[in-house]
Amino acid sequence: MHKPRIRWHIAIFLAPAVLIYTSVMIFPLFNTLRLALFSKVDQERVYVGLENFRTLFFDPIWSEQFWNALGNNFWFFLVHMLVQNPIGIALAALLSHPRLRFAALYRSAIFIPTILSFVIVGFAWKLILSPIWGIAPSMLDAVGLKSLFAPWLGKEEYALTTLAMISVWQFVGIPMMLIYAALLSIPEEMLEAGEIDGVTGFAAFWKIKLPLILPSIGIISILTFVGNFNAFDLIYASQGALAGPDFSTDILGTFMYRTFFGFQLQLGDPHMGSAIAGAMFAIILVGVCLYLFGIQTRMRRYQL
Amino acid sequence: MTALTLTNVNKSFGTVHVLKDINIEVNEGEFVVFVGPSGCGKSTLLRTIAGLEDVTSGEVRIAGEVVNQTPPSKRGIAMVFQSYALYPHLNVRGNMSLALKQAKESKATIEARVAEASRMLSLGDYLDRFPSELSGGQRQRVAIGRAIVRHPKLFLFDEPLSNLDAALRMNTRLEIANLHEQLGATMVYVTHDQTEAMTLADKIVVLRDGCVEQIGSPMELYNNPANQFVAGFLGSPAMNFLPANLLEDGSPNTLGVRPEDLMLDPAGPLEITTKHVEHLGGDTNVIADCHGHQITLRLFGQHAIHSGAALRLGVAEGKSFFFDAKGNRLR
Repeated sequence: MHKPRIRWHIAIFLAPAVLIYTSVMIFPLFNTLRLALFSKVDQERVYVGLENFRTLFFDPIWSEQFWNALGNNFWFFLVHMLVQNPIGIALAALLSHPRLRFAALYRSAIFIPTILSFVIVGFAWKLILSPIWGIAPSMLDAVGLKSLFAPWLGKEEYALTTLAMISVWQFVGIPMMLIYAALLSIPEEMLEAGEIDGVTGFAAFWKIKLPLILPSIGIISILTFVGNFNAFDLIYASQGALAGPDFSTDILGTFMYRTFFGFQLQLGDPHMGSAIAGAMFAIILVGVCLYLFGIQTRMRRYQL
Repeated sequence: MTALTLTNVNKSFGTVHVLKDINIEVNEGEFVVFVGPSGCGKSTLLRTIAGLEDVTSGEVRIAGEVVNQTPPSKRGIAMVFQSYALYPHLNVRGNMSLALKQAKESKATIEARVAEASRMLSLGDYLDRFPSELSGGQRQRVAIGRAIVRHPKLFLFDEPLSNLDAALRMNTRLEIANLHEQLGATMVYVTHDQTEAMTLADKIVVLRDGCVEQIGSPMELYNNPANQFVAGFLGSPAMNFLPANLLEDGSPNTLGVRPEDLMLDPAGPLEITTKHVEHLGGDTNVIADCHGHQITLRLFGQHAIHSGAALRLGVAEGKSFFFDAKGNRLR
């Protein structure tokens, strides 16, 4: 009789990763979701079901803040998609030009901000753009454009866009690197075939290179989406948890932080905070699923 | 009229001189093969004709016009690459029509040209497939189709068969020969395989180290090589080279004899010890040792020769070549 053996080694080899991932990711995630189903009444934790979510979406005080943060977050994402990624692709296309000199220098220079801390970036830009002691007004003055200056971080209508642009400045190196790698993997002979077919310069980019880097652009879009909807640090470092002026730069991350841990006069409420975290999780999950099942499965991967 | 004229073409990459004073003339409708060992500059030469590389000095004329400054797409050429270089994001039809679309040809023209090329290459059933869904041989045909639709004055082939397996290579070789006949177009073909060169070419250009060694029809080169390199490069099995003093005492020269021009002759001048015998059925190849030099003998039909046998060989009348110490032919 052949006895089916239990293959213990599989479980043993998987155990470290499973244990660590469970303890730092899966357990906290589900515990947060569980926390959202409770509330504190008279110093007692009571189960309230989806009551917190009802408050979040339908109570006027909460829902106004939530939709404001969500709307800001979409604008933040849109700026990245429309500015950061096209610039990243353009930079990669320039960098991959064979006759460009100092390409390695440019590549590093553009990528360096990515490795800086949010706190440093946020604080440095806050100083640069300060109307009182910042260097931006005097630099604009030096080129005769002082009239263009405005206290960008202090005006409700500009602050969020300004922060988005700072984030773009910091992270434009990532799409650039990913696209650059994708462009380098296009075989030289294919571009030469294009040259013989009369497809050169911009036409070569649009008709040959761009279709071949589309999968990379998809990956970058989804990375941008996840990164932006989880963003928090830059806003917190430069505008504080109140995401001023008048919550105009409030995004889901700062809204969640304020609610969960409290800020200044506002008391922390872990249960409502968890409900916001749960909503963020759901939004990101839906976005990623839309991409994975709606777009990526339809996208053709080319063998080069 | 000449389809292609190269006059004193030189090409250097930095300090490396890759092509040295190349002069070649190709007549309309000719099939010319550039052949040589790897690194001899044959692909570079093809790329300078295509315009993918600029010449350092000299003149390239296609159909009488100097094209040194003309971009590849305006030279009236089409090229088939070794890796096929098909566009993976376009289907077969898209691959074939991209150049015509880029040249702003009318829809009807494009349709007609693609139909014509796909009929010629029997690709009709595959027009909507993507390159990743095709076999190696089919991809090869698409690459050729992409060249045909442009109606070029000059077809350039860069080792197009080297990615195919042996059986397919032979078929495709025949197809290319047929195509040449059908189209009557001028073709320039680069290969390192002397069999391809011999079977396809009207004219062979043998290159070595960036220099043209000899130009001529396959049989001219085979029967009348200009030097030891050409003699040794063309023909399979390769020509035997032996010190000429085995035949004439004291000669410092080299004797070249093709394997099929050696024969078993008990009174012959060459004494050999058989090392290995290849029985191919139609032929028998005998690899033997002749005073410390390897010698190959090709006998027609089947012969019961065993390795280790000592034999004597004679050389067919008028079939021996002599080369001096520099490899030049002595006549």
